[in-house]
Order: sequence, then C-alpha cells, then structure tokens
Amino acid sequence: MDGSLALEIPQIFPEIALSVFGIAILLLDTFLPKSKRHAATGIALAAIALTAVFTLGLVGEDGTFFSGMIVVDGFSIFLRITFLVVGALTVLASSSYATRENLAVGEFQALVLFAIVGMNLMAASNELIMIFLGLETLSIASYILLGIKRSDAKSNEAALKYFLLGSFSSAFMLYGIALAYGATRTTNLEAIGREIAAGSAGMTLIYVAVGLLFVGFGFKVAVVPFHVWTPDVYEGAPTPISAFMSVGPKAAGFAVLVRVLMVAFPAAYAKWLGLVWLSAVLTMFVGNCVALVQSNIKRMLAYSSIAHAGYILVAVATRNQEGVAALLFYTLTYALMNIGAFTIVSLVSRQGDRKTYLDDYAGLGFKQPGLAAALSIFLLSLAGIPLTAGFAGKFFIFRAALESKFVWLAIIGVLNSAISVYYYLRVIVVMYMKEAPDDWSPVAMSSSAIAVIALSVLGILQFGIFPDMLISLARSSVIGYR
Amino acid sequence: MRNYFPLLLMFVVVAATVGAIIVLSAVLGPKRRGKVKDSPFECGFQPFQLPTDRFFVRFYLIAMLFILFDIEVVFLFPWAVVFKALGWAGFWSIFIFIFVLGAGYVYAWRKGAFQWE
Amino acid sequence: MEALLKLLSDNVAGYGSLASPLQYLLPMVLASLCCIALVALFPIVAVYAERKVAAHMQDRLGPMRVGGWHGWAQTIADGIKLLLKEDIIPSEADRVLFKLAPLVVFAGGFASLVVLPFGASVIVSDLNIGVLYVVAISSLGVVGIIMAGWASNNKYALFGGMRAAAQIVSYEIPAVMAILTVVIPVGSLSTQEIVRAQEGGWLGIGNWFIFKPVTAVAFLVYYLASLAEVNRTPFDIPEAESELVAGYHTEYSGMRFAFFMLAEYVNMFVVSAIGATLFLGGWNSPVFGGPVAFMLKSVALVFVQFWLRWTLPRLRVDQLMYVSWKVLLPASFVLVILAGALAVR
Repeated sequence: MDGSLALEIPQIFPEIALSVFGIAILLLDTFLPKSKRHAATGIALAAIALTAVFTLGLVGEDGTFFSGMIVVDGFSIFLRITFLVVGALTVLASSSYATRENLAVGEFQALVLFAIVGMNLMAASNELIMIFLGLETLSIASYILLGIKRSDAKSNEAALKYFLLGSFSSAFMLYGIALAYGATRTTNLEAIGREIAAGSAGMTLIYVAVGLLFVGFGFKVAVVPFHVWTPDVYEGAPTPISAFMSVGPKAAGFAVLVRVLMVAFPAAYAKWLGLVWLSAVLTMFVGNCVALVQSNIKRMLAYSSIAHAGYILVAVATRNQEGVAALLFYTLTYALMNIGAFTIVSLVSRQGDRKTYLDDYAGLGFKQPGLAAALSIFLLSLAGIPLTAGFAGKFFIFRAALESKFVWLAIIGVLNSAISVYYYLRVIVVMYMKEAPDDWSPVAMSSSAIAVIALSVLGILQFGIFPDMLISLARSSVIGYR
Repeated sequence: MRNYFPLLLMFVVVAATVGAIIVLSAVLGPKRRGKVKDSPFECGFQPFQLPTDRFFVRFYLIAMLFILFDIEVVFLFPWAVVFKALGWAGFWSIFIFIFVLGAGYVYAWRKGAFQWE
Repeated sequence: MEALLKLLSDNVAGYGSLASPLQYLLPMVLASLCCIALVALFPIVAVYAERKVAAHMQDRLGPMRVGGWHGWAQTIADGIKLLLKEDIIPSEADRVLFKLAPLVVFAGGFASLVVLPFGASVIVSDLNIGVLYVVAISSLGVVGIIMAGWASNNKYALFGGMRAAAQIVSYEIPAVMAILTVVIPVGSLSTQEIVRAQEGGWLGIGNWFIFKPVTAVAFLVYYLASLAEVNRTPFDIPEAESELVAGYHTEYSGMRFAFFMLAEYVNMFVVSAIGATLFLGGWNSPVFGGPVAFMLKSVALVFVQFWLRWTLPRLRVDQLMYVSWKVLLPASFVLVILAGALAVR
C-alpha cells in the first residue's frame, strides 16, 4: 500500500465504519451482562446513522479507486443508502423479535451490519473478484442469520438449504468469473467491456460466462428457474430476517447484475436480453400463480417476492437510464413495503413464529384496527394500487419498458399485477370479513416495531403520492449510465 | 524447478525402502492367523464398544478453529517475506489484520470455544 | 546437492564425461541415501540414548546385556526382532488405509529432511520456500495418524488418532507464528538464508535469534508447541498408555509399528533441527561451524526432550487445550506484532 492508496481510504469509510461497529458489538456483547445486551440495537442504529453520514459525504466524489476496484457514483451511493435503510429497519424490527424469541441480540445486529457491508461492497465494486467478496460477506452473514434460532428445526432447515444452494450458485458465479477472465485477461468490469469492444475476446467464452454469472446472481435474487429455495427459506427463517433477505440481498444482487451486464457485457446484449426476457416472464408468472394457492403468509410473501423480482428484471431488460432509475426506485420502495409487511407478520405470529397462516389473521381488522390498516397499506402497495409507492414503482418500470419497445413485457407485467391483486386482497378480506377466533390473544406491540411500521407507511405514502422527488433523485443518480 | 526434483526422488527412495522392508518382514515373519487374534484389541475381555459412536463435538470445533487461524497464518507468510519492502504501511495493514483476527479470537474465547470441558 | 556434485566431479576421474542427467542424478541418489541412513541410524541411537537417560535419571542402569558394553546393541536387537514379527492386520480393519498409514506418517517426517541446512552447502535442496515447506509437509503426519486411527476400527486407536489430530492442529498455529517472528527480520523462507542471517555478532553467537528479545520468547513458544506436535511428554495424551493402550498404533505390530516409532524419532529430530536452524544459529558456531555444530545443537534439543519426558507428568486434555489456545496463541500474536514493529524501518 503506498501513500496514494492510503488517501483513498475515505472512499470506503462507510464499510469501515460498519465493520468496526459490527466487531465492537460482537465483543461488547460477550462482556456485557445479559440484562444490558439490548444496547446492541442502539449501537447498530448509531453505526448506520454514522455510515449514512459518511455515504452522503461521498456525493460528488465520483471516480474509481483502489486500482479500479471500487467505484463511487450516484448509482452506488443511492444503493448504499437503500441498504442502510433496509439495515436500519431490520435492526429495529429484530430488536423486539430477538428479545421475544430469546435470541442473541448482539450477534444478530452485528451480523446485520456485516451483511450491509457485503451489500455495500457489491454495489460499489467495479471488479468481479470484489463483487464475489462482497457477495460472500453478505452470504456468510445471512447463512448465520437464517439459522440463528438454533433450536428451531425450520430455521436450521432454512439455513442449510440456503447455504447449500448459495454455495452452489457461488460456484457457478466463480466459474463465470473465471471464464470472463480467461476471455479478457481482466476482472475489471470496464476493462472487460473495452476488451470485448476491441474484439480481442473469444465471444463463445463470453456468452458462457454471462450465462453462468446470470445463474449465480439469479440464485441470489431468486428469479425463476433459480427460485426454488425461496419459500422454504423465508418460511423457516426468523421473520425479520425473511424481510431482510427478501429485500437486501435482492437489491444488491440486482445492482450487481445491472452493473455487470451494462458495464462489462453490453456487447453481448443480444444474447443476455433473451435470457433476461424469458426469466422475467417466467418469474412473474410462476411467482404470482403459485402465490395464489398459499395458505401460509410467509410462503405467500416469498412467492410474491419472486414475482417482484420478475418486475425488476423487466427494468434490467430495458437497459436504459430510465429503466435503471426505475429499478432504484423500485428496490427502495419495495424494501419499505416488504419489511413493513413482514414486521406485522412477525408480530402476529406470536412467540415461536407459529401463527403464520391466513386464518390467524381472521378478525384482526376489528381487534387491532391500526395494525390491520397498516398491513392493508403494505399489501395494497405490493399489489400496486394507485397512491402507493408500489404503483409508482411499477408505473416507472413499465413505462421504461414501453419506451424501449418491450411492449409484451409491459403487458405481461400489468397482467401479472392484476393476478397478484387477488392474493393480496385475500388477506385483507380475511382480516376484515371474518370473525376472530374465540381464543384470540392480543398481538403484543413494541415501540421499535411500531417505529418500523410507521416509517414504512409514511415512506410508502410519501413516495406513492409524491414520487417525483425520489424518481428524479434516482434519475440523477444514474446519469452516465449507458 | 530443479530444486524440487530431489524431493520427488526422495519420495521414490523412501517408498522403495519402506516397501522393501515391509516385504522382507512379511517373508521373514510368521503367519499364524486366528479369529481372536484378528479381532479388535481389547484389554483381555470381549470388545464391548465399537468406534461407531458419535464424537465429542469439541473435536469438530477445534478443527474449525484451526482452519480459521491457519488460513490467517498462511496470509502472514507472504507478508513476512516482503515485510521490509513494505515499511510502516505494511506494518499497520497487518496490524489491523491481526487486530481483527484478535477480535474474533476474544469473541471465541468469551463464548467458551476454547473450553474443553 | 551442488557441493556434492562439485566434490564428485573434482575427485572422481572421468565424472565430467558422464551423461549430464546422470551427473545430476547420482548426487541426488547419494543425498537421499544419506538421509535414509540418518533416518535409520538416528532412531537406533536415540532410542538407546533415551533408555539410558531415563534409567540414569531414575537411578537405574537401563539395558546392560545385549552386545556386551553397556548393552549398546539393544536397539539393533529390538529392530531385528520387530522385523521378524508377524504383521497382523485386524479382520475389521480398512486394509488399504491400514497399510498406507505408517508410510504416510513416515514420509511426512522424512520429507522435511530435504531442507535441513546441515552446513553452508550441505543441504539436499535449498528451496526458497524452505520453512513453509517444512510446515506444510510435516502436517502430512496428522493425516497418517488419523488414517491409522480410523483404519484400525478400534476405539482406542480412533480416540488416540482424534486426540492426536486435535492436539497437533492446536499447536501448529503457535508454532508457525513463532517461526514467522524469525522470517520477518530475515525476509526469506530459505533455511540457508535464515542461518546466514545469524552469522557473526558478539562472540560469534550474538546474532543467533535466541539471544534477541522477541525471538527468544518465540523460541520458547516454538519449543513447547513442537513438543506437542511430536506427541512428546508432557503432551503425549494421544498415546496415554493408562487409558488408550497405545493410541493410534494400538493395532499395529511388527515393521508397521516400527515405522511409527521411526517416524516419532525422526520427527523429534526434525523439530529440534528446525529449532536449531531458526533460533540457535544453524551451522554457525564460534568454535567450529558446519554439520558438526548443527548436529550437536539438534541433538542437544533432542536431549532436552528426553529430559522433559522423564521429569514432567502428563497434562490433561483440557490443560493441553488451555496451554495452546489461551497461552501460546495470544502470546504468538503479540510476538508477531512485536517482531514486525522491531524489524520495520
């Protein structure tokens, strides 16, 4: 490391801050007496706030750093902020959850911070190896988070399934990276793009590499046909982690997918477009149609998250600035509504995560109207009803698709949104049209959970009714993107 | 590469010597087999427990800890060789590295990973 | 190697006219045979010496009869006896692994000899990764031990093998870190370079790493860890007779058992020789340098191993793990940092 590299360290201050705080929480947790361990939540939130300050400090410092490994641009900053929002909501939602389920709070929050580090690195990487490292940091943290309920068989099942399939997909990705490196003699995304443009790379190798990389990222973001792990994992995982998994890694995976496809492999567009197109259509149909018949809310939300991955893939397929801006908008707003929904699911499921079936929601609208109203807003937003952020997000994506002449994709997308309304509304119907069971026990609320729900509702309405601010921010973030 | 050829030769010579000695002992030694003689060793009574039981989890824990720390140590080797050329920057980089490793170590200690009982 | 080649071409008439591969092959074979001879002779002497040392420490005489003078032929007789014994393979054993295990253990110890710097040019091959090579190749022994324990299909053997593996891997990390404290100031992994870095100084010994602040402590760490790595008392739990019969080689007999014994003594020599190379100046000596000084230092360290064995009781498993993970490991972390801070400029 020479002097000039040392000067570039501020460019990764966000990640350094998160790592230092994560380590501090881990250590502190082992020294504090049991009664004081919930301090971890406060520290984690402080860490996220500090990181947000560092991240915003990077605005305008565009460029590549550390020999081209790290890139700072609007895209990466927007995503870093998205991840911090996701992280903050997860930390808040999980603090009361961890207490209720008797989990180790310190490890929980530290692992969330480490997962954010991984996602941040993925978003800020300009290099296939760095992307892989970020992905592994994220994955290892999530393997542990999924299995953190050690005595719960389902949680263990979720962790093991995700671990096995995750390492499998990592292997695919590494193979893709190896082939790309073999064809172009570099792992730097821009350099790969230049090599291909110069015609000095073997295109067969490149096509195979793109395919393998797509498989790798496809697993992480759960698009069909690489989605099979999703329902089991989301169902078995601790509910705040299901929420986290459905938005954080997904957003990070899409960010990397977009960057890799657009920066490194624009020359292979004709080939990967077919892949993305087909996968998007399949993902939307499979996700929505299977969600129709789910009776477990967590599984239903899992399939819904697969469907949403399909919508986001439409944005990837457009390959233009408008599409990427829509993707940014969508991932952020989707994070708000999904975390909000999962938080309520986690509250309603009571201790032990047992009451996760549709029937358990019967009468919630009368017994606890506030909670039911919030859940209704989240579900309506997921379905894409106007005046919610979900509608705005879908609108931007489909408009970008139309602008790029992907008429069929847009039509299929709208059709799928219509299908999805059925299963989201079903929950609302059960909440308001069915009697509560006689042995109804009130849902225990906690201030942190209320904060998560309130913030999510506010965000959804704000970005749903006045989407201009966020979408113009997203648009200005992707300037310079092809 | 020429430096490594003696290695290969060494292994060949060892294998040949050991093989020859084993064959020699097989030729010279007696061969009287028996059911009791060929059964697993036990101190003068019927074997009552075969090694098919589950193992103490500590062994696995030790193995995992070993892998962790051994990989870190492998990272230190190249650093140690070029250390002088790196100067203080190299020192502080590795200091941070070992510090993070140390944090993990303290965590493992406090969690009782090194406690055999 | 090169020295042997020069010796041959200078003193043997017509050597230069041989085909060039043969010119290289011959010294290699000779060097290998020298190593085999060392490996064969050292245990014979060492086993005899250990029995005598043990006896005299306990105010006994030890072997006195075989061969006449002080029973000098005792180990040779033992060796011949083992050669004539039946090679028993239990019916339940995994035959392939069972047969292979002693070989693996033996080869692990043996292969380390390649990089031992007996003298300024007396070395089989001066690898530029010498120390790393020793660390890597000596781990082969663990594999052999686990193989033996598993293949025997006997509870004592398996427990012994597992314990041995746990112990060896636990102590490997402090040992390697201690080695690093020497590598840092030298800046090379070659054993010859490390010895050369210790030339000269006050009285011709001042540059030995054992006389420098950080590495002196590192030597202690290394020596303790190396005792454990070769399963010597006080760390000989893997073959604790009172509970595990003979540990991983319970089921072995005849020559296969002899190879485990050989390997143990070869390993004792190797770790002592590495200790002498890294910390005691290798073949450097104020009086007479070269192979004699190197062997004397190594044998002295081997003697300390005997001494400890007959002085100290055996540790318990938990104490063993305590020493490794909670004492030696943090100490070696600190030592590496200190060594770095001292060497940087």
